[in-house]
Amino acid sequence: MNQPIKLVIPSDAKFLSLSRKVLQQLFACQEVPSEIARKLVLCVDEACSNIIKYSYEGDPNQTIELSFWLKDDQFTVKIRDYGKQCDTSTFKPRCLDDVKPGGLGTYFIHEIMDQVSYCTEREQGTLLTMTKHFKNETAPAAQQGQGKP
Amino acid sequence: MSIELRSEEGQGGVVTVHIEGEIDMSTSPKVREFLTPLFEKNRKAIVVDLSGVPYIDSSGIATLVEGLQWSHSSKNKFRLVGLTPTVKDVFEIARLLSVFEVFDSREEAL
Repeated sequence: MNQPIKLVIPSDAKFLSLSRKVLQQLFACQEVPSEIARKLVLCVDEACSNIIKYSYEGDPNQTIELSFWLKDDQFTVKIRDYGKQCDTSTFKPRCLDDVKPGGLGTYFIHEIMDQVSYCTEREQGTLLTMTKHFKNETAPAAQQGQGKP
Repeated sequence: MSIELRSEEGQGGVVTVHIEGEIDMSTSPKVREFLTPLFEKNRKAIVVDLSGVPYIDSSGIATLVEGLQWSHSSKNKFRLVGLTPTVKDVFEIARLLSVFEVFDSREEAL
C-alpha cells in the first residue's frame, strides 16, 4: 500500500462499527493474519471511543479523521480529533490486578501497539499515532499472566 | 448497529441471557440496562451466552465485570459461555479468562 486509506466518521458511537468494518476489509485484502487483525481493530476502536468520550465529551456532531498505512508488515494509524486537548501524561494503562469496570481501553492500546504517541502541539484537538510491526509476531500479544517486558 | 437481548428462565433460579450483535460503546448501555434488573432479583445464577457476539470492546467487558461483582457480593454464579475468537482475544488481553467462570457451552455452565 503506497498511500494511506483515509476515513472520516462523525463522533457518534454508532459509526464505530463502520471504521471497524473498513479496517477488517483492509486487513483481509492485505492478508494480515486474523489474530493480529482482530487486535489492531480493537485498538483503533478503543482510541475512537476515547475521543468520543473525552475529547468531544459525547458530542456526536464532531469529526474523527483516520488514516491507515499498511506496508512491509507494519501498520500505522493516525487519528485526528478537534476536541478538548487532554493531559496526555494522565493516559496511563491501569493495573489489572484490581478487577473493576472501566479503564481497559488505554491498557489494550498500550499492550497491543508497539508505539503510541499523542501530539497536542496544534491549535485544536489531538493527533494520535499508533504503530504495530507484526512480521515476527507468532504468538498472541498477551498470554495469560504474561505482558510485555 | 443493533443488538438483541433476551433472557430465558431455567430451573432452580438460573437465567440464561442470550446476546446477539457487537458490543461496543454504542450498544453496551443496552446490555447494562438488560442485565442490571437481573442482578436485583435473587437469582441463583446468571449465564450469559456470548456465542452470538462477534465483537466486544472495553465498555462491554466493563459491563460483564459488573456481573462478576454482583456474583462476588451476592455469592451467586455469573457465568459466560460460547466466547467467539475475537471476544476470547479481548478477555485474554485483559487477563480475565481465569477471573470469570467461562464455559464452552451452555450445558456445561448449567
